[in-house]
Amino acid sequence: MDPSHRIVPANAPKSASIQDTANSLGLHDALRYGPRSLAAENKTRGGLRERLESWDATQDNLKLTMQRNVFGLHMPMRTLMERKIVSRNPHMPALAQSNPHLDILMGRDETLDCSDFMMPASELAQPMDVHAEMEKKLHM
Amino acid sequence: MATASAYRSPGFDFSNEIRNNFLSERGVPLPKATSTGTTIVGCLFKDGIVLGADTRATEGPIVADKNCEKIHFITDSIRCCGAGTAADTEFTTAMISSNMELHALSTGRKPRVVTAMTMLKQYLFRHQGQVGAALVLGGVDATGPHLFTIHPHGSTDKLPYVTMGSGSLAAMAVFEAGWRPNMERAEALDLVTTAVSAGIFNDLGSGSNVDACVITASHTEMLRNYVKPNERVQKERSYGFRRGTTAWKSESIRQMVVEEDITFIAPEAMDTS
Repeated sequence: MDPSHRIVPANAPKSASIQDTANSLGLHDALRYGPRSLAAENKTRGGLRERLESWDATQDNLKLTMQRNVFGLHMPMRTLMERKIVSRNPHMPALAQSNPHLDILMGRDETLDCSDFMMPASELAQPMDVHAEMEKKLHM
Repeated sequence: MATASAYRSPGFDFSNEIRNNFLSERGVPLPKATSTGTTIVGCLFKDGIVLGADTRATEGPIVADKNCEKIHFITDSIRCCGAGTAADTEFTTAMISSNMELHALSTGRKPRVVTAMTMLKQYLFRHQGQVGAALVLGGVDATGPHLFTIHPHGSTDKLPYVTMGSGSLAAMAVFEAGWRPNMERAEALDLVTTAVSAGIFNDLGSGSNVDACVITASHTEMLRNYVKPNERVQKERSYGFRRGTTAWKSESIRQMVVEEDITFIAPEAMDTS
């Protein structure tokens, strides 16, 4: 994300891609991920969903940009390095994980939010293909 | 290495977004939420805050609940009245209540009203008015009594007397006429009751009883159903039939418990042939 002082997420340029749901042939894998229409997805962009999904990233970008302006480039770099160290996780990728260290660094260890107790069905579902998850994790 | 996401997920499930957009484009009406067409009020008095609310919940033209609670708990000395979508006000205030408790535990101090106000307005602003909660937040903290209104899009007001909901105009008229600085407790409670009653009797979305809550620095008193101006009267005619209206000619009572005579005899020797 480019450094910016935005508080509220901007309307992102419309784009939809099958990158996340592609099979080995580079086509959308309807058997694993269900039917999907890029045209319909593109049309519904720009609602509450995008705003909520990019809310934290935008606010965090503002904080990092301000750190950079006040203290110099090293400060956001340090912050991001700390986060990267802490978010390294050797556990099984398929299962739900919590990371209190990261929560502390992000300043949300003492708050409760919708995302802490209202999970979308897609996040609650246990992934069936552990091997695929492992391959994704290890970039195989 | 897999990295946990540094950012929170939205929390809400948007997986049916495309389907719902498609359906509403085709003219399928969206389901309606239960809204509390409401009168909620609050005013300052000498020692603190009085909050008031009616108790009717509506679903369009239908009264869904005649005696619902609209004054929600935030902390011991902070309460929040909710108007708008009933589920949203309930959920939002419950979540902020939990956050305020966590905040109090982490700071070791009694939480302040502005903290709750900031949490509420940030939450509502983030959801662009899609969370339909119009709130009256009142409480007493270390810096004195505070009274706020919070609109569904996240804007806030700080005033000595406030009203919200569909009956807010009727209630505000009463406040404009009757509110004075440094009122006594009884006077303030009377004024709040009059204001909510004005909403109950002049606004179709508000009705039933008056709930009130008196918050002072030392004590919070919740007065549930403080005034009941719309008590349901006894029906003029009774449709219960006198005993013996229907004559009967014979009576047979069936014994449901089957009685059985059991005679115990000496056990026979085991057949081992």
